Amino acid sequence: MSSIIQFDHVHYKYPGDEKESLCGISLSIEEGSFVAVLGRNGSGKSSVAKHMNAILVPDSGKVTVCGMDTADESNLLKIRRNVGMVFQNPDNQIVANVVEDDVAFAPENLGIPSAEIRERVDSSLELVGMLEYKKHAPHLLSGGQKQRVAIAGVLAMQPGIIVLDEPTAMLDPQGRKDVISTITRLCRENHMTVVLITHHMDECVNADEVIVLSAGSVAASGPPQEVFSDIALMEEQGLSSPETVKILYDLNREGFSFPLTTLGVDACAQMIADALESR
Amino acid sequence: MLKDITLGQYFPGDTIVHRLDPRTKLILVVLYIIALFQAEGWVSYAVVLAVSVLCMLLSHIRPKNLFRGLKPMLIIITLTALLNIFYTDGTPVVPGWIITWEGIARAVKMILRIVLLITGTFLLTYTTSPIALTDGLEMLLSPLKKWKVPVHEMTMMMSMALRFIPTLIEETDKIMSAQRARGADFETGSLVRRATALIPVLVPLFVSSFRRADELAVAMECRCYHGGEGRTRMKQLVMSSADHVALLLGVLFLAGIIVLKLLGL
Repeated sequence: MSSIIQFDHVHYKYPGDEKESLCGISLSIEEGSFVAVLGRNGSGKSSVAKHMNAILVPDSGKVTVCGMDTADESNLLKIRRNVGMVFQNPDNQIVANVVEDDVAFAPENLGIPSAEIRERVDSSLELVGMLEYKKHAPHLLSGGQKQRVAIAGVLAMQPGIIVLDEPTAMLDPQGRKDVISTITRLCRENHMTVVLITHHMDECVNADEVIVLSAGSVAASGPPQEVFSDIALMEEQGLSSPETVKILYDLNREGFSFPLTTLGVDACAQMIADALESR
Repeated sequence: MLKDITLGQYFPGDTIVHRLDPRTKLILVVLYIIALFQAEGWVSYAVVLAVSVLCMLLSHIRPKNLFRGLKPMLIIITLTALLNIFYTDGTPVVPGWIITWEGIARAVKMILRIVLLITGTFLLTYTTSPIALTDGLEMLLSPLKKWKVPVHEMTMMMSMALRFIPTLIEETDKIMSAQRARGADFETGSLVRRATALIPVLVPLFVSSFRRADELAVAMECRCYHGGEGRTRMKQLVMSSADHVALLLGVLFLAGIIVLKLLGL
């Protein structure tokens, strides 16, 4: 596997800000992987996301996406159609008042022939499980459904990478579950690279890699099992580990010796049950 | 209260009126408005009325919905009618009265004219989806691009505005509830008091609209929006033979009204 997004000592400061929001970040994201980016508010998560499709360009350092330098203005459209971006508030990214017209927006901008747009719209809606709602008005859908329409809207560009900036922050638990399972499926079955920016630990359990950001630089990175089992680090970053890790950690303090690498709820329950039985 | 806003509302359907190309419908409405303002005699008014009733019947739009849109215009309609009744010279209905037969006739015609104008245009927005409408408008106005008129930008703004009407209504409701929960009173007091009570609603609404606009612009850029150049359409507009017939009928209708006007009917 090769790295599809590469940050090389990226510095960035928002105009008018005193402090840099990115202080020399270097990271690389493998093609086809599911990467979760964590960090508390102000850690630079959203700035990292916005660098991935050239909404922001670094003050110094370099961001390379699919081998293209984001600072090069002539690559702009090519980068944006390769990196689909989904934001927090679904209401503010839906542009049309019929679901299928909204999904068609991006391919229309790309100048794709109408017959092919129709195909792309239907298949994108199918991928997120919203095909039956294609004639609906978006403002009548639930939050989770709107967010899935927004995802379909970027899928219609047929991007290789999809970046989601806290897509579940405004959703109820059911909507969160639907969105997360949709993007997990896109990564596993459709081999897309997924970058999920979030502060819900439970959403990162299935990720291949977790990157923890703190004050504009990378505080930790690695497979979720590794990162989450470092309870001290997580607490220092103001993040809480997934519930499963917390339970195992607390049980260990009471004399058990569970590995802290089991993140799935069922597997964790099974492990505790086995341990109790053998006692 | 806010749910009553009918502006830009669309009632989906599959009648001949719904199926017409939006460009045809836009042109027909323009012809209709010209005809309406050319009508002078009773016969012409009767013809215009008959044509609009026919279109209404064809579109299967319930008259209730059409008249609901008239409600906000009620004050203007009554005011115009009253002014016409009292300020038209002619033969008094009863000798010595200020009200004249001519005044009554003019008032009735004015009411008819306003009602027909509004229902006619509502028929357009009720039977055409906003997207189709703005697409049609963009194509009809596209010759103006030669003179550097930003047609694409204007129609894009229009369709965005229509898209955000329900969102902003919802938001206004939310803000009003929040202010009510903190003791704001929107219903009682003089007109001035009620108007000032709306300020704490409008300020947060404006602030959040600007934030929305900002986020929307970024989201549109992320989806490769770069102006109207090189843009294609999923739904292409096609003029069918029904459209040609409808346009022909529209022109005949206008010509007929002009002939009636020349005959003094």
